[in-house]
Amino acid sequence: MALAEETAIDLGAMTQATAALDEIRAMVRPCIQCGTCTGSCPNEFAMDLTPRHMWRLVLLGRTEEVLASRTFSLCSACYLCSLRCPRGLPLTEAMGRLKQLAARRRLPHLRSGNLFYRNFIASVRRHGRVREMEFMSLYFAQMMNPWLPLRYAGMGMRLLRRGKVELRLPSRGSGRLVNLFDKVAEMESRS
Amino acid sequence: MKRKIGNVLVVGAGIAGIRSALDLAETGYGVVLIDKAEHSGGVLSQLDHQFPTNHCGMCRMLPLVERDAGGQFCLRKGLFHDNIEILLGTRVTAVAGEPGRFAVSLRTRPTWVDPQRCTGCGACAPVCPVEVPDAFNAGLGLRRAIYLPVPHQVPNAYTIDPAACTRCGACVSACPCGAVTLSTAERKDFRILVVDDEAIVRQSLQSWLEDEGYAVDSAASGPAALEALEKAEYQLMLSDIKMAGMDGVELLRQARALRPDLAVVLMTAYATVETAVAAMKIGALDYLVKPFDPDTLVPMVTRVHEERLAARDRQVEVGAIVLAGGTDYFDPRQQEVNPYGYGRIPAVVTSLEFERIVSGSGPSAGRLVRPHDGRPVRKIAWLQCVGSRDIQCGADFCSSICCMYAVKEAMLAQERGGGDVAATIFYMDMRCFGKSFQRYRDRAEDQGVRFERGRIHSVIPAADSGDPTLRFVGLDGSVRDETFDLVVLALGQRPARGAAELAQMAELPLNPWGFPATSPLSAVRTERPGIVIGGAFAGLRDIGESVILASAASTEAARVLHGAGKSLAAAENEATAFRDVSRQPPRVLVAVCTCGSRILPPGDRTRWVDRLKRDPAVQETIFIDRICTAEGWQALADAISAHPPNRVLIGACHPYVFTRRLRELGRLTRLHPALMDVVDLLGPRMAAAGEGAEAAHDPDSLPRHLAMALARLQKTCRLELEAMPVRRQALVVGGGIAGMTAALAIADCGYPVDLVEAGDRLGGNLPWIGRTLEGHDLLALLQDTAARVGRHPKITVHADTRVRGAFGQAGQFYSTLENTGGVVQTLEHGVVVLATGGGEAATSAYGFGSHPAIFTQKGFQEAWAEGRLDPGALNTVVMIQCVGSREAPRNFCSRVCCPTAIKQALALKQQNPEVAVVVLYRDLMTCGFAETWFTRARRAGIVFVAYGLDDKPKVDAAGPEQPVTVTVTDPVLGRPLTVTADALVLATGIAPGLPADLAAAYGATLDQDGFLAEAESKWRPVDSLAEGVFACGLALGPRNVEESIATAAAAAQRALRILERERLPAAHLTAVVRHGLCARCGRCIEVCPYEARRLDEDLDRILVNPARCQGCGACEAICPNGAAVLNGLGMAQIFGMLDQALA
Repeated sequence: MALAEETAIDLGAMTQATAALDEIRAMVRPCIQCGTCTGSCPNEFAMDLTPRHMWRLVLLGRTEEVLASRTFSLCSACYLCSLRCPRGLPLTEAMGRLKQLAARRRLPHLRSGNLFYRNFIASVRRHGRVREMEFMSLYFAQMMNPWLPLRYAGMGMRLLRRGKVELRLPSRGSGRLVNLFDKVAEMESRS
Repeated sequence: MKRKIGNVLVVGAGIAGIRSALDLAETGYGVVLIDKAEHSGGVLSQLDHQFPTNHCGMCRMLPLVERDAGGQFCLRKGLFHDNIEILLGTRVTAVAGEPGRFAVSLRTRPTWVDPQRCTGCGACAPVCPVEVPDAFNAGLGLRRAIYLPVPHQVPNAYTIDPAACTRCGACVSACPCGAVTLSTAERKDFRILVVDDEAIVRQSLQSWLEDEGYAVDSAASGPAALEALEKAEYQLMLSDIKMAGMDGVELLRQARALRPDLAVVLMTAYATVETAVAAMKIGALDYLVKPFDPDTLVPMVTRVHEERLAARDRQVEVGAIVLAGGTDYFDPRQQEVNPYGYGRIPAVVTSLEFERIVSGSGPSAGRLVRPHDGRPVRKIAWLQCVGSRDIQCGADFCSSICCMYAVKEAMLAQERGGGDVAATIFYMDMRCFGKSFQRYRDRAEDQGVRFERGRIHSVIPAADSGDPTLRFVGLDGSVRDETFDLVVLALGQRPARGAAELAQMAELPLNPWGFPATSPLSAVRTERPGIVIGGAFAGLRDIGESVILASAASTEAARVLHGAGKSLAAAENEATAFRDVSRQPPRVLVAVCTCGSRILPPGDRTRWVDRLKRDPAVQETIFIDRICTAEGWQALADAISAHPPNRVLIGACHPYVFTRRLRELGRLTRLHPALMDVVDLLGPRMAAAGEGAEAAHDPDSLPRHLAMALARLQKTCRLELEAMPVRRQALVVGGGIAGMTAALAIADCGYPVDLVEAGDRLGGNLPWIGRTLEGHDLLALLQDTAARVGRHPKITVHADTRVRGAFGQAGQFYSTLENTGGVVQTLEHGVVVLATGGGEAATSAYGFGSHPAIFTQKGFQEAWAEGRLDPGALNTVVMIQCVGSREAPRNFCSRVCCPTAIKQALALKQQNPEVAVVVLYRDLMTCGFAETWFTRARRAGIVFVAYGLDDKPKVDAAGPEQPVTVTVTDPVLGRPLTVTADALVLATGIAPGLPADLAAAYGATLDQDGFLAEAESKWRPVDSLAEGVFACGLALGPRNVEESIATAAAAAQRALRILERERLPAAHLTAVVRHGLCARCGRCIEVCPYEARRLDEDLDRILVNPARCQGCGACEAICPNGAAVLNGLGMAQIFGMLDQALA
């Protein structure tokens, strides 16, 4: 999404309506905008906002602008920025929180990534590992884009040739992790 | 000379230690100055250039009062003063006692080279087979195990690094003076018993230790060991723990019963470390974990041996202790990850290594080349905040010094590179927080140094060349890669190695950052009375600040001595009645030290005598072997007594060594020391030897040196030197915290003080500031200080009074005071301390004055304190920093405004957590430990937005009823931010309150910003150019309360040097005027840098103030008539020397 660069930010709103972001903001408050995170990030080239830019918006309470960006969704959790941040901020963890926040809101521009994650983890939940055929089928079905499978066809063939993808039908094998997932969900809801 | 009663121990002979020692010595106290290093000067011995001059200038610290008591030599070479005893290679091992009566144990490491005998000829180093990294060159080169700690030190004795030395003995036989005695003989006396049931262990230990020169026996079991111990005396037993029959612990018990002095080290496998630790409780000295190699064993045994040797530590009794241990640099290799590749990428160097690279005495002799491949450096980068402002490496502080030294180094690099060096500094905030710092930085930018805002997180080698490549983010968000020839890491400071141990020994706590803690609001006092901290030991100071703190520490030490009744005794030594030789023709005794035969081969004597005899003034030429020994010196004294000459010329080695002895000789022979001279013959001899055979064999070279000195000496005559009487009373102008502190410090040492305050109450700025950033209560400080001033019998407070006029010079000033009632009185005083303070600068920027919600920092604080402002009712507060500061015309940083903004913002947040605080700044100046509060402020949610000079914030306040709207561009987002502020606080900085005419009346001058112009910003930071006139607090420059208190104590110390004397003796090397030749043109007055000359209109003569004159000779050079003469270096003498040099 293109940002209206010329839009002035009203700092008066900083204290209001940012409840969603409060917890994340508290994590990065000591930030001094030195740019170490951006310089360290291996995925920075693909992001629409640099990490420094995005954290600055977080600090200024710009929830909507932050969630409109793809920056956090591209974080591959390599932890380089956390390692190098001179303030020792838990940046990777904060990125994770942003992903969760975005997932709860089912943001349209992150729909594809969201569904990908959801179906991936659903497959793991069912089988104890990912069943690529089932996972991709469900993903394609939910994306409701008939052209989408074609985009993956070439890669799928290559993976098949190398034996990286199995054409086994989904089965309810012994590796089910449902109980584990349920337990974790229960524990998380308690805390 | 006064009899010394008070003694002070100064620990650390770096710049602060030297300053403190000189202060106390000049004041008349005895000083023991120690340093664990083998040289004095601390880190400054490695640094050749200091900003703002980019030169050294350390010599400006030399005594100005009673100059003849100390050598007038380069302080980087060494320190010479009658009252200072220097012990190098020495550390403190125990501190006991109370203020006024401390007993301190000192241990001096044996160097195995006798400094009395070593002449620094250098014959030993080339034969030494060992090479280790040269610490002096920050590891950039190699040195031998026998080495000169600092190449330029005087006297320059070699020393041996015991850790590196293999004791091969090559240097012993190479030394022509027999100065080296390796302690192998001592080692033979150190008997070691090795006890182990495994033969292989016994044998290898025995052979390792015997290789080191120790006497070693072995025993295979506990009982056998006990038998051996009964038979012979051993100093050390190395015993295994697990042995059949009697184990090591039992052996230890029985052995200690048998030989209580025996040191026992247990050897143990991992499994029994706990046993070994338990054994230490019953007397084992230490333990070694098996398996170990010689590198572990030998240093431990050596340490035990040396501790035995030094068992008789020297005990000194001192009244007070000054700890001036300095700081160390951060080690970039210590970090868990080493992102800068230091040690891996050869073109990444530390700032200290860079200083060595551009030093003339460095590995490349000052050429700007890369140390590893010698390639000239064309593109160079400095990375700031390496080991500073980085919580990840335990540094929630700003090291305060790195920004300025990086700017200096960048300028040096450009100068060295002759214009084609591109220097870049990568920084987060450029902290140019001192008086002249901002202008210096601007100068660097004008010269082409590039300043790039952005922190560099890592350095990677370029794929092709391996040169260091930096990846950084521009403010616009673009990620850029840039490759450099050399990358310099601007290392931050860390507590000095050994600081924690020293603090523990002195029972001092450490502060949260690991530095020794000082008391609240004092940068020098500690929890333990009588022990004070000088310089950067307590953390993060640059040279100028260190020097101030060192002087402040001296004041506290003097106060302790005074309080303990150990003040200076008034008794003067009976003055020697010197022979009057002024009417006699010169009769010179020439005494030449043959120094074995190194200076003078025996066959050359006749030639020398003949050469010198050409001058009829030579009465006699004698030759003495080793004049520096007691016998040699006695031979000289005898020769003088036998046929009393009226001049004595000594040809020997280092003239510095002889200053004190010449004075003793003068007392003995009643010949004034000014009529004696020492010529260095050894230096030229060795220099010639270094140049090659031809120069070495010029037989006339050394006699020529003597003849030159002879030409000068025979025309020297001793003048009756004036001594200025001292009015032993002080005037302090200004009754703020600085003035009060200075007055108390002087009065506490027993001298009357008049304290003049223009207002009706004491306290200056303290009432409105209220609290410091750290939370210390300034009102309590004010109450306490004012009460102490009020009841002090030696202090007279003149409130509502101004100084109307003044004249005079050091030792005798006259000041006219007038109070608001019109009553006028005149005071006589010997010194004056200008503590006229300062206030908040006025402004009309950002709509100030047009809207009730726009405040200055002071106005905001006052409105809050007086209840006119309710923090609970505020939604949004905006603060703008650098209002009218750090840009022309007030182009300096006031350094207190950023911490004040953070203090106010945090206090607002505390009272009203809902309030939004936005701070608009240029570079946030939370230097030193204040950085911690900056972190806290960020954490508290205060928003900081940086702005640039070209895009200042815009304030829109249409009318008093309209809201105040501030707009600023966020540099990261590149978008405007707007905020409607309930209160806008402007940080306008400090404006000094020192009237130019007041300063001028005392002969002092102001700088372009209206602060007092120091004699030298680093080396004499509280002195004005006029001796006897000092300044402190805001009159001197922007400072916070704690720093102002320190400057006040430092100014008091400088004043006490003068007050401690009844007369100010002039040095012999002083300018005089030949009135008959003088045309009163006044050019000498203009040229004199010390303002020692003036035209007395009544007498119609130019007068020289001998207490101010430093003998520089500028007047003699400029005088067109030859009427200005430097005593002892007149025209006839200079030409006489030239004639002899060319003869």
